[in-house]
Amino acid sequence: MDRMKRYRLDRRDSCRVCPLDDLVLLYHPRSGQTHMVISPVPEMLERMVDGAPVTASDLLDRLARDYDLGPRDVALAQVAAQLEALAALGLVCAA
Amino acid sequence: MRHELTLRIGPATFRVGSAWRAPIGALARLYAAYPDQRGAIADFTVRLQPTSLARRWVRPSIFITGDHGLADAAPMSLAHGLLAAEMGMNLQMALGWRRHLLLHASSVEKDGRALVMTGESGSGKSTLAALLGERGWRLMGDEFALLDLDSGAILPFPRLVSLKNRAIDVVAGAVAADRMGPLLRATAKGDIRHMVPRADAVARMAEGAAPALLLFPRFGHQAEVRPVGQGEAFMRLTQASTNYVALGEPGFAALTRFVTGAPARAIDFPSGEAAFDMVDRLWDELA
Repeated sequence: MDRMKRYRLDRRDSCRVCPLDDLVLLYHPRSGQTHMVISPVPEMLERMVDGAPVTASDLLDRLARDYDLGPRDVALAQVAAQLEALAALGLVCAA
Repeated sequence: MRHELTLRIGPATFRVGSAWRAPIGALARLYAAYPDQRGAIADFTVRLQPTSLARRWVRPSIFITGDHGLADAAPMSLAHGLLAAEMGMNLQMALGWRRHLLLHASSVEKDGRALVMTGESGSGKSTLAALLGERGWRLMGDEFALLDLDSGAILPFPRLVSLKNRAIDVVAGAVAADRMGPLLRATAKGDIRHMVPRADAVARMAEGAAPALLLFPRFGHQAEVRPVGQGEAFMRLTQASTNYVALGEPGFAALTRFVTGAPARAIDFPSGEAAFDMVDRLWDELA
């Protein structure tokens, strides 16, 4: 896992978001795919809408302003893994 | 083709052509109360044609095709010609309809609001809808519910109700004999008999209703009601839709509106009577 790797949310990858009572739906118009996600994915994408490239560490800092995320090392590994998964789905891209 | 008939069911018009007279005759009798569509431009064509030239006469064997078809569709005997025509129309809807989100679900209406029921074949959704249609509800459809992309309403598709095996006697006991089609024995899905919806269901087949309750029925189990979260309801409805992916964002918008606006429950029921009680109670509580 490369913690220095940078990702960004391209404006064209913006999803239509629909919170349901137990999860959040993301409709990705570019691929036509619907994704079912839970925290922290919607919160991560919300903090990337400015389109600026971020590392997992940058994104963790942004999230930490609003949430208590526990031990930093554990949270950082989770955020990095989620970014990698989102990139694989085409929802964010490597910057 | 040699014999043909044009039918309108809900918003869809079908031209059904057949190499044989019998399937068209059976359709004409059972759909006699539906709007006369002679000369209309059809949305879909269904063709019942011989699997080979000889099979028009010798052990007649039907290949179902049309605007949309499956290359490996199993041939059917002429004795099951009515079922072949119904399957042909279903096939066109499942593969070609794009004007609404198509859900593999039954639906009934009361006081301008719709109860939608979805589940796998054998779940009892079709039988339940047929019986509710004889108990003060308006039958909107036993197989397909059409979700309007703009209004969010459920639109009817009241084709003939397809009853299978044990459901045949249950429903035949509740409706007049002239509303029942011929018994088709030993089809690929067992014995099948079709039921003509009540006249009001046909007369009001252009009239939609806002979805007020979504049920996932399951026949043959101890009576039980289980809440279904919006995420599970959404996922199961995407699986029950034949065109969710094809419709893109408008389909997403319509389906999320449905699951966030209508409560959902899974119901297990051991008998029709138990199901009626559960439906009445849930409708009073939630709809």
